[in-house]
Amino acid sequence: MGSRLGGIFWSLIFLAVPVLGVATFAVAPSYNIWLPKNVSEHGPSIDSLFMFILALTGVVFVVTEVLLFWFLWKYDAAKAKGPATYIHGSHTLEVVWTIIPAATLLFLAIYQMNTWADVKMRRPAMSPTVEVVARQFEWRLRYPGRDNMLGTRDDLFLTNDLHLPVDEDILIQLKSMDVLHSFFLPNFRIKQDAVPGMKIPVWFKATETGAFDIVCAELCGWGHYKMKGRVTIESRADFDRWLEETYARQEATQPASEDITASAAD
Amino acid sequence: MNRFSHVAFLPIAVLAACLLSVGCGKTPSASYRLNMVEATKQRLTPDQERQVATVLLAMFGTPDNPVVLPETGLDEAKLRLASGPVRSDIVGRKNGLYREHCAHCHGVTGDGMGPTAAFLNPYPRDYRPGVFKFKSTERADKPTHADMLRILRNGIAGTSMPSFALLSEPKIDALAEYVKYLSIRGETELALMRAYFELDDDAKGILPETREFLVDETLTPVAEKWKSAPAAQIVVPDMPADIDLAESIAKGRELFYGDKANCVKCHGVTGLGDGQANDYDDWNKAIVEINKEVKSGLAKTGETSTSGMSAEDAAEHRQQVAWLGKFSDVIDGDALKPRTIPPRNLRVGIYRGGRRPLDLYYRIHAGINGAPMPAAKGTVPPEDIWHIVNYIRSLPYEFDGELGADKPMVARDRF
Amino acid sequence: MSTVTASTLSQGTATTLPPARKPRPVAEFLSTYVFSKDHKVIGLQFLFSTLLWFLIGGLLALAVRWQIAWPWSDVPVLGKLFAQQGGQMSPEFYTMLFTMHASVMIFLVIIPILAGAFGNFLIPLMIGADDMAFPTLNMLSYWFMWPAFLLFGASFFVEGGAASGGWTSYPPLSTNMNSSPGMGMGQTLWLLGLTMVGISSMLGSVNYLTTIILMRAPGMTMFRLPMTIWAMFITAILQAFALPVLTAAGFMQLSDRMLGTGFFSPEGNIVNNALTGSGGGQPLLWQHLFWFYSHPAVYIMILPAMGMVSDILTTFARKPLFGYRPMVYSIAGIAGLGFIVWGHHMFMSGMNPALGVTFMVSTMMIALPSAVKTFNWLGTVWGGRIQFTTSMLFALSFVSMFIIGGLSGIFMAATPVDIFIHDTYFIVAHFHYVLFAGTAMGVWAAIYFWFPKMFGRTMNEFWGKVHFFLTFIFLNGTFFTMHILGAVGFPRRLADAYHYETFHHLQPLNAFMTWCAIGMVATQVIFASNFFWSMFFGPIAGRNPWNSNTLEWTAPSPPGHGNFDFQPVVHRGPYEYSVPGADKDHLMQTDPPNALAAAAAAAAH
Repeated sequence: MGSRLGGIFWSLIFLAVPVLGVATFAVAPSYNIWLPKNVSEHGPSIDSLFMFILALTGVVFVVTEVLLFWFLWKYDAAKAKGPATYIHGSHTLEVVWTIIPAATLLFLAIYQMNTWADVKMRRPAMSPTVEVVARQFEWRLRYPGRDNMLGTRDDLFLTNDLHLPVDEDILIQLKSMDVLHSFFLPNFRIKQDAVPGMKIPVWFKATETGAFDIVCAELCGWGHYKMKGRVTIESRADFDRWLEETYARQEATQPASEDITASAAD
Repeated sequence: MNRFSHVAFLPIAVLAACLLSVGCGKTPSASYRLNMVEATKQRLTPDQERQVATVLLAMFGTPDNPVVLPETGLDEAKLRLASGPVRSDIVGRKNGLYREHCAHCHGVTGDGMGPTAAFLNPYPRDYRPGVFKFKSTERADKPTHADMLRILRNGIAGTSMPSFALLSEPKIDALAEYVKYLSIRGETELALMRAYFELDDDAKGILPETREFLVDETLTPVAEKWKSAPAAQIVVPDMPADIDLAESIAKGRELFYGDKANCVKCHGVTGLGDGQANDYDDWNKAIVEINKEVKSGLAKTGETSTSGMSAEDAAEHRQQVAWLGKFSDVIDGDALKPRTIPPRNLRVGIYRGGRRPLDLYYRIHAGINGAPMPAAKGTVPPEDIWHIVNYIRSLPYEFDGELGADKPMVARDRF
Repeated sequence: MSTVTASTLSQGTATTLPPARKPRPVAEFLSTYVFSKDHKVIGLQFLFSTLLWFLIGGLLALAVRWQIAWPWSDVPVLGKLFAQQGGQMSPEFYTMLFTMHASVMIFLVIIPILAGAFGNFLIPLMIGADDMAFPTLNMLSYWFMWPAFLLFGASFFVEGGAASGGWTSYPPLSTNMNSSPGMGMGQTLWLLGLTMVGISSMLGSVNYLTTIILMRAPGMTMFRLPMTIWAMFITAILQAFALPVLTAAGFMQLSDRMLGTGFFSPEGNIVNNALTGSGGGQPLLWQHLFWFYSHPAVYIMILPAMGMVSDILTTFARKPLFGYRPMVYSIAGIAGLGFIVWGHHMFMSGMNPALGVTFMVSTMMIALPSAVKTFNWLGTVWGGRIQFTTSMLFALSFVSMFIIGGLSGIFMAATPVDIFIHDTYFIVAHFHYVLFAGTAMGVWAAIYFWFPKMFGRTMNEFWGKVHFFLTFIFLNGTFFTMHILGAVGFPRRLADAYHYETFHHLQPLNAFMTWCAIGMVATQVIFASNFFWSMFFGPIAGRNPWNSNTLEWTAPSPPGHGNFDFQPVVHRGPYEYSVPGADKDHLMQTDPPNALAAAAAAAAH
């Protein structure tokens, strides 16, 4: 029926699960394999929820897995003497381990509703800062221009290169031209599917300047992986200046100087 | 536990390991594909095809190792960056850009027939004829380097050509250079294949493999066209300042519907691009015409019987049938199914070659090389072209107020 | 094979010989082994077919892993298809690989192996019946899988390749012939194949429900059924109620694609410069219909394994199941709640965010019955006398790995956290833990456990343990680190993620995971060798090699037609191990009532 050595070996294999499991999560951040830097206002509440659930599930994980190891170690047929304990269950235990998890889970659910509402339900009353239209396989952007209205002649059209002001409420109007895409800003903890036929508002506030990734997070065809955009957060002054410059380039009636010197040097 | 069974597993495991390793040989390196459509059209023999391939190998190298002759005027360092296999496991690798970003649509050879190409609408560009649509030079001239960079940076709106603006400048530069390299190679290949027809009988169907013939007479004229592109850049007059926008638009509208520019013939009286629907761009037209020729040839040879012909004529007839069959196979296997090119719908506000007024001026002035869009140069004076440009730019917003800017999913609002 | 049945025995010796029949070898071979109506043969047919597709699905996964680890490098074997590019696969090929990996694993492996192979083989044996209620329907349920096999298989060879819109097949990507290569004929064949699998499952579920309700042996009350049967029973209910929705949705998608209807396409939708369909529809409608089936489907894909693991744990711990009734109610709870949680797949989809709140609550609550089951398994192991057989090791690893898979689900149930981890590798980690580290380990446990009953011989224990050890190590190496990848936000379904600043340092980790995956698939050679070798040359097994209690162990190994050579009568529940005062350490369900043991049992409670 197997030796004691076998029992020890297999119990230790199962002990490796919680040990290595915890070790992986403990070591990962030092290799920069962890939540990316957060630069949005609501990001910390999402991150803290993640950590809270991690702690909670971590405790349950360690306790249950260690118990499993302990039982395998202690109740190995090659070690334990006499017959097994003949018991069909314990009503008390069933009640305890039903009520406590139920309460915990319900608490968890209710505890998070506010954060969800902040990110997805409480839209700020403002007109869109920019319209993002997802398309196979790029992010087409449209700024409303000086009249602050989308769909007029002074709109600014761009691809993939999103600029936004820092420390201000931002409202993005998200659309799709063809199939489902998903507007994912890892550093802002923002994700929203872009659905053709729908105009979906996305809002957040950036707290730091810098350049960050825009990733498509819903399979949209062969080019899903290359739907890379960049969001640049800058001061309001820089942002306004960039808008002016880009608009001027869009309305150019003469070639830019670099277009002429580059070709002359050719 | 059966001791024997311990041992018995070994042969099974070994056998399995052998089977697994069968598939583990490395795939041979990427290679250029010969332009079979042209080769068949020129009725090249297998030996001649081999000669072309060998010559091209010597003059241009392989996708992993490009050869850069000084006559091409290309920068070797940039080509090294763009060529070669992608090796994502090597941090900070120094090449493979084209294969990573472009080859699956444009093909390793730049023939517009990568694995994804058949599923794209419109098809990706075939660089080999050396014809490019969206540029700042006169119709028949090559694009400038800046034009190539612009296309890479902005992509081509409304097509599958994406924007590469998020790549660093050196990378975009390298890719543009590599596209020129593939185009020069492709045009040289065409010139070589066509040269067989010009040979006199002494040559016995073999091209002279002298530097004079190959480089000076064949490659250099192709490369020169690229070098002279900047000189052919369209000089654009300033937009007329003495006329207000509404008036300019009205004038543009007259011209749009008038006889000189005759835009409505293709773009339709509605501007929706429904004026006509059965023209082809040059790349597709070539295949369509070959298709017609092959079909009619097959029909004719099918009707003719060889009885009553002299031995010579009969042999020629058989050769013709064989050639037609081969051509038909090549068209099926080595070319994409032809598609018509619809005239642009001007009411959506998507402009493939760029949306600046300047870009629209270029399109109208020089037309679009390779497409049925004609050049207005010569027929329409420059200020009038600006009026047409202003009218075009107003088209997506023409019914504002009537239909309302807030009406959802209006064509223009689809962006 | 014994053809003696209870009825001939009770009549005494037969007095008249049946008339001699002309031998018809081909017809008899076909009706015995090919178009058999014997549930055991059908179960084995399912087993062999699904194990073959398991191999195919695993190889597809290796190709996916290769690209993730070393994007655009020369792919072994498949690189020959891309010789022009030097072996570098095209992006659409990658989308096809992960689509077909998931589709094959879910529809051609896990669902049929649990219900079709084990359900079929075990249900009549464990309830004491001589076959299923509808043997012909049962045979059809297997043979409907063959069109599915052929359709899925053929889809690899059509123009554009096999379906490439993800196994979730969301429109408008999937309703458009030209939205991506593989969305032409490949996607159509995929939809048709799915319909066939659906029909097969629906036929099966009707059979299982009828058999379990009506054909139990005398004395086999519902609460004396082994957990395997309870699990199969409730799984069959799930299939019966959920599958029609998927089938209908599949038809709607087929209709959008081929007849130009617009169930899922919004008006004026233009994809790849081609106008699509008539419009007037909603992409979200598909998601609701699809997930209304596919969420219960994930429970279809685990409940049978949970049931089987319960039976295996009790056998090798020599202990009754801890909390039999709570376990039954938990299974029912999982199934019931499983119908009201589908929206948690759609938190980011653009559906009304208020639904995010309701689905978060129901999804959190569905963790509860799974937790209760886990605690009861721990309670079963506690105080036992554990025998570390291969089957037991796999069953224990089911519990251990399911804990991980279940706990990771809580992160996704948390809607705000899901904003970040949706469509990342965190999700991939979760479902591979429950489906592979959970169900597949449970399937292997079941194979090692019931192999003697199926083939009359036992599998080799030493190589079984080697198989377990290597699989366990490699699977954790492959899948555990996916949790931290997900924490970075590493997205799913990307052919090359390293050109994003956020992800470009993750290539070495992915390479490590791919090596583990290769090791994992290579290890299965050991299993396959063991399986086929033992079938012919393994040591002969008696009726009850594991000294287990349930009814199938009273039948011969393998059982003949009619299963039992006596009429089983049930006197007790299935988990009477180590009953104080009994003369052996297990009392089989058919053992006559033992007054001493009964008294001791009453005293022990």
